[in-house]
Amino acid sequence: MKTRAMQIKALVLAVALGLSGGASAIDFGKLLEERLNQELNKNKQPPAEQTAPPAAQSAAASPPPENQKIDARQLGFALFGDYSPEEEARIGRQISGNLLGAVPLVPDDKLQNYVNLVGNWVAAQSGRSDVKWRFGVLDTEDINAFAAPGGYVFITKGLYRRLGNEAQLAGVLGHEIAHVTKKHHLKVLKQSSLIGALGQAASKKAKDSDQVVQNLIGNGAEIMARGLDKNAEFEADRVGIVFAARAGYEPWGLPDVLQDLAGLPAKDARTGLLFKTHPHPADRLAALGEAVDGRLDAVQGKTLADRFYRIK
Amino acid sequence: MKKTFLIKGLALLLAMGAMPALAAQGTVLRNEKLYSQPSATSKVTATAAKGASVTILAKRGGWLQVKSGSSSGWIRLLSVRAGAGGLGGAGLGDVVGAATTRSDPSRVVAVAGLRGLDDEDLKQAKFDGAELARMDAWDASAAQARSFAARGGLAAANIAALPEPRPAQQPSTWEAN
Repeated sequence: MKTRAMQIKALVLAVALGLSGGASAIDFGKLLEERLNQELNKNKQPPAEQTAPPAAQSAAASPPPENQKIDARQLGFALFGDYSPEEEARIGRQISGNLLGAVPLVPDDKLQNYVNLVGNWVAAQSGRSDVKWRFGVLDTEDINAFAAPGGYVFITKGLYRRLGNEAQLAGVLGHEIAHVTKKHHLKVLKQSSLIGALGQAASKKAKDSDQVVQNLIGNGAEIMARGLDKNAEFEADRVGIVFAARAGYEPWGLPDVLQDLAGLPAKDARTGLLFKTHPHPADRLAALGEAVDGRLDAVQGKTLADRFYRIK
Repeated sequence: MKKTFLIKGLALLLAMGAMPALAAQGTVLRNEKLYSQPSATSKVTATAAKGASVTILAKRGGWLQVKSGSSSGWIRLLSVRAGAGGLGGAGLGDVVGAATTRSDPSRVVAVAGLRGLDDEDLKQAKFDGAELARMDAWDASAAQARSFAARGGLAAANIAALPEPRPAQQPSTWEAN
């Protein structure tokens, strides 16, 4: 493992030191991309011990051009295993602050406090204590929910309004909490940061930016607009329903919400983004049904409809 | 907030056993059994094939009471989708959706400038430190969350993680994004 890490460091150094311009840089970018893909896929396939591509050495030996700026730290994020909790929190702060720039929080402190209490209780069952969980209701009639790395979770007022009890809220928050614990966004960022860094390496128009995180996440809350892989959504349903059940809620809160969403008309301005970034609710119900089957039959949980905070 | 009442009314109907005239349509998502009671230990009364249309009569916990052709019984909530959109993909409007969106308040709000979020809103968004600071301030402590849970009678339960339905399959392909 140590030698692998050193090989990769040598590669990063090669990029950081700069690439010779033109076609050779692009070739090198391609080579690096292949190498990085191997690195990213190392969990999927047994890691065959690789020798560093010979071009890496030659590129490392080439002199650094003046106006080529590669952010080594950005590449570092991408290359060296997991993000640290601090890096994760920084990334999450930036994405969340950007999202809040698009849509503010509902100015109702009682509502926000209530959602934070439910959310923190569900998150306490997630096994991730290295993040500080924060929950916010976004002031939009759009029907959606979001999560960002580092424990930031959002639900829109439009979705909140459709909920009928606390178990349903716990189910929705459980799904988002699962995105954080499974680091789904970080995996996407890891991929896109590679592409971004490689893009910078290949084009000579690298921007002079000291905003490592901003570079990493792209413009605004772009990652929220792009969404995640559909398997990540299925996984979050599977994991989230269990978080809610572990918190003492009846497990059917999330399925209830999915049933409600499945019944929405296709052409509804409020669900455009949700349906674009998630598998169809019917497909999510079906996938969850396969996973759950009779496994939660014995679970006795609460719905707490009486305590559910209603938006005026 | 007419819509809210409509939803509550529907939820209530589902919860209490709706009048047949207002019952919602649904589609069976996988081959399933219908039981005489909302329990897998009760008698199997019939089977329902994937793709079959059902009328949803009532809901209890993880179970729906449905009518399918001439047979009826209780089926797992996750084995049915509500709405008349069929097995998935392009879900078209349906009974529930039409009823709940007839007087859609967001349509009115949209005129006043608030609308759904779209890609551009998100991409163009500028960091709002003040809102983020508000959110950070709401952070509830673990102790507060525990006592909140206790007040609601919630107790942490030991529940095993669910298996991946298709273990042979590769995990998510981020390359496809």
